[in-house]
Amino acid sequence: MKNSDGQLYTIEGFAAALIMIATAYLVVNATSVYTAGDTHISDMQLEALGMDALKVMDIPVSKDEHSMIREIIEATPPSGGNNLAFGTNFSYLINNKTGQNSDHIQFSATYTCRNSDISTASIPLSFSRNLSGGEHAVRVTKWVVVNKTASALNPFCGSTTKEDRAILVEVLMWRD
Amino acid sequence: MARLNDDAQWIILMGFLVSFSFFFLAMVINQSTVVGQTTAESVIEFPKNDIRDVRGVIISSVNVTNPDVVRSDITVISLSRKNAVVDYSPPYIVSNHTVITIHYNNGVTEFNENWTSL
Repeated sequence: MKNSDGQLYTIEGFAAALIMIATAYLVVNATSVYTAGDTHISDMQLEALGMDALKVMDIPVSKDEHSMIREIIEATPPSGGNNLAFGTNFSYLINNKTGQNSDHIQFSATYTCRNSDISTASIPLSFSRNLSGGEHAVRVTKWVVVNKTASALNPFCGSTTKEDRAILVEVLMWRD
Repeated sequence: MARLNDDAQWIILMGFLVSFSFFFLAMVINQSTVVGQTTAESVIEFPKNDIRDVRGVIISSVNVTNPDVVRSDITVISLSRKNAVVDYSPPYIVSNHTVITIHYNNGVTEFNENWTSL
């Protein structure tokens, strides 16, 4: 004959254990999880880094020279492509770290210019990796005034003569 | 359960009460982590860099030879790529200073400035 006197105490023990585990789970979860309120921190760090890199590249070395980014865009063909000079310099600026190892931030750069009417065209400039669509990317932009060679046979954004044009360099950056 | 002594049932009851109060406190702590989401979103949405950048290009393009073309570039590209209405006056002279009136509005943030050269 089995004795069932202690059943209530057993049930109480199980209930207390479950409540303690659930409480511990909620408390630990609350402090360790990467919450929605923190998402802007890494995004803004990446954005500040990209803005700084583009700003550095848009500052001329002296009063009589043009900025690096302007010279790169003036040297690229009007149809665009993967410009090595932009890629090397931009990648160096955003991936430079203390020590020997570099960071691994990827980017994809285009620039947008206005055609002769009110439409715009985006022209690929440089990319370190193809976009797959799954990246959590931030966009940084920089206005640049360029004076690109153009002719009737080889127009640049609707311009058939060499003249000052404002274009917008847009870079998508993400950590890989 | 016939011979079970149930004198101390209130102790068990208090135990449950304390446990449940801890449980609900933990729920409150858990919920508090979503606080700040809207703050984070508004921080990301605030177009500080956009305004600084468009202001910079407007001021630096004062001396271009074809201001109308550059003005159209800035307004059209701002609207199509940055979702922002940008307008600025041609530079005019007020008591030996160049002045440009700059307007920026992206629907959330509005920025107006009377830029004056040194």
